[in-house]
Amino acid sequence: MTNTVKKRLIKFLVSLIIFGIAILIIVYNLRDNIVYFYSPSEIIKNNQTGSQIVRLGGLVESESVVSDGDSIFHFRITDGQEQISVKYQGILPNLFAEEKGVVVEGIYMNDGRFIANKVLAKHDENYMPPEVIKSLKETGKWQE
Amino acid sequence: MSLVINYIANSLLILCLVTSLIQSRFLFKIQNYNLLSISQISAIQFLSILISFFILIFLFITSDFNFDLVYFHSHSEKPLIYKLSGVWGNHEGSMLLWILILVLFNFLFSLSKSSSQKFKEITVAVQSLMIFGFVLFLLILSNPFNINNENFNDGLGLNPILQDPLLAIHPPILYIGYVGFSLIFSLSITGLLTSEVDKKWATMAKPWVFAAWSFLTAGIALGSYWAYYELGWGGYWFWDPVENASLMPWLSATALIHCVVVLQRRNTMQSWTMVLAILTFSLSLAGTFLVRSGVLNSVHTFASDPGRGLFILIFLFIILSSSFLLFALKSEKINKPSLHNISSRNTGIMVNNWLLISILIVVFLGTMYPLATDLLYNQSLTVGPQYYAISITPIIILFLFFMILSPQLNWGESKLLKILNEMRYILISCLTITFLTTLYYDLFNVSEVLIIFLSLILIMSSLSSGLNFKSTKVTVKSNFGQSMAHAGFGIFILAVVSNAVYSQEKIYDAKVGSKLQLDEYIFDFKNIVQEEKVNFNSIKAHLSLSKNGKDLGDFTPEIRFYSDPPTITSETSIIHQFFSDVYVVMNVPQNQESISLRLHVKPFMNILWLGVVMIILGGIITAILNRKNYIENEIN
Repeated sequence: MTNTVKKRLIKFLVSLIIFGIAILIIVYNLRDNIVYFYSPSEIIKNNQTGSQIVRLGGLVESESVVSDGDSIFHFRITDGQEQISVKYQGILPNLFAEEKGVVVEGIYMNDGRFIANKVLAKHDENYMPPEVIKSLKETGKWQE
Repeated sequence: MSLVINYIANSLLILCLVTSLIQSRFLFKIQNYNLLSISQISAIQFLSILISFFILIFLFITSDFNFDLVYFHSHSEKPLIYKLSGVWGNHEGSMLLWILILVLFNFLFSLSKSSSQKFKEITVAVQSLMIFGFVLFLLILSNPFNINNENFNDGLGLNPILQDPLLAIHPPILYIGYVGFSLIFSLSITGLLTSEVDKKWATMAKPWVFAAWSFLTAGIALGSYWAYYELGWGGYWFWDPVENASLMPWLSATALIHCVVVLQRRNTMQSWTMVLAILTFSLSLAGTFLVRSGVLNSVHTFASDPGRGLFILIFLFIILSSSFLLFALKSEKINKPSLHNISSRNTGIMVNNWLLISILIVVFLGTMYPLATDLLYNQSLTVGPQYYAISITPIIILFLFFMILSPQLNWGESKLLKILNEMRYILISCLTITFLTTLYYDLFNVSEVLIIFLSLILIMSSLSSGLNFKSTKVTVKSNFGQSMAHAGFGIFILAVVSNAVYSQEKIYDAKVGSKLQLDEYIFDFKNIVQEEKVNFNSIKAHLSLSKNGKDLGDFTPEIRFYSDPPTITSETSIIHQFFSDVYVVMNVPQNQESISLRLHVKPFMNILWLGVVMIILGGIITAILNRKNYIENEIN
């Protein structure tokens, strides 16, 4: 092995190690900051209660939206099999409507309610979040 | 009539296809065709696409619904400017725009006199080969001139959220940036093929790189400004996959422009420059087309077709594999042994190159991780903005440090103590300002204080290095573009941090006549008006803003109900003050008595955009100044 090749090999290994450590730190950080998406059935099955913020998506059940003033709303999200009651304080996006797709972000409580701190808005009214389409297909409730 | 237009447009596209093939002959060492010069053939390529682009514009303006594209994306009642922007507001039209810019750059380069004939021939050949690929794709998979045999009375309209003057110019500007890097890519491939990557190459490539980079920056900024006032979420950057897709080529392009400067000055870092040039163009390609292919799940995905994504992936694979193969074969030949001191400007730029690439990796992992888990584990998830904030903050701190240090260092060797001594006034004043701000605003987050301190030094040292202070006259130095962009970056970072710390938001269920309060601002809710406009109905609220009894202006947030396609949008209303924006969004009333209003106070937004504008201007200035210097050198 010539001297230059040896030098290069060392250079290469050192940068590989630094690079590896950097990637490890990033991925570790990544895992702490991901928000999982569940359908109502999945959230009940996984029993994901507690302090972790998750996303819940499905259809807003018809005639389930109730407002008690002060921008507090109650509604149910369904995937055709299970329903979850959601409580949300804030402004509902323009495209929020009964029997339309919705994704909320918040905490799933021990008593089976979901406290949302965000209702995610999408661009046009025919848009359906892909996650919701997927979960509706799984429960056989998806209609083209 | 429609058939004739269809025939003409397709013939023009085929003409471009054939001429591109003729142009690429130099790659295969076929030289026996000399009827027309390179620039003449490039002109034919350019004109054929330009005319077909004008034909498409004509079809949109005259609302010829016999063409599928016009039928699906336009409407006779739409205002003229949005009929126009409808041309590139869809997949096929934006592909044609992309190709138009591709041939434009090819034509401009064929006219330029900054390279040898042989070098020009090969560069134009590489570029034409790419044009060939894209025109073929356009003709076969996404032809904008397809006609239908129905007689539609009217079109299906365009998403009203895209009916916005800013969004009409955002795609062309962004595309000029993306496509500009295609020329840099062709120049690099030619450099590798001819083993001529040296000072001369860098001097030739520099204005193109800086121009493309400036347009890319401007394109991203316009998109961000659009999201700020149109989406009404109070933010300007959401770490959305589509935004990330444009940020990644920007990061590698930023590394690239600095490498080109090093290559021009010191004739070193050849391989790394080539890697960055290839990487930037690949990321640009991926950026444009993954956005349109529907692979990325995003708020910005308007048009999607996974089938076309496959073509782009194959194209990307061919470009990446062939260019890196070429690089592997040639990198030995282009590299010159470089001897430079550790305390030189090269080192500083090299370190910041690595930091930029680190940010690129952070963004890449954050964007790709959800795709990977969805494919591998069928688990949907999103990556929160916190991930980016936590990962990027320490990198930015180091980055700012080296950004301050590097321009102070010489290209050869420098004494660190001497620099410290020269900078003592700036250091002391910045330390004092930071200390006072920290006390006044009760800041205790170490990284925030550190970022404020470093960006202040960056602003001052950059400005003082770009200007000559002579008793009464202030003159501009030759590195003015650089110092302006660097100061702009410091201002930008300062504004980003302050904005993140001091933004306020409050939601009200408000009745007409009520007074709302946020921070020191009073919002007087006056009335609500319903109006009927040409293509939508609206509900408009009127509020007036005052602070400490002083009247600051009126808000008119609005909800619009469009009929084609049926869509509801909220129009935000913003009052810009020098130090902060006040921002009101109204939403569809959920009950009869009151209306939901969201109020935002966003400090330092004007300063933030000022920083961005300085960055862009700095790039443009460097591109133009370099051009001048180069031509002068040529003459001498």
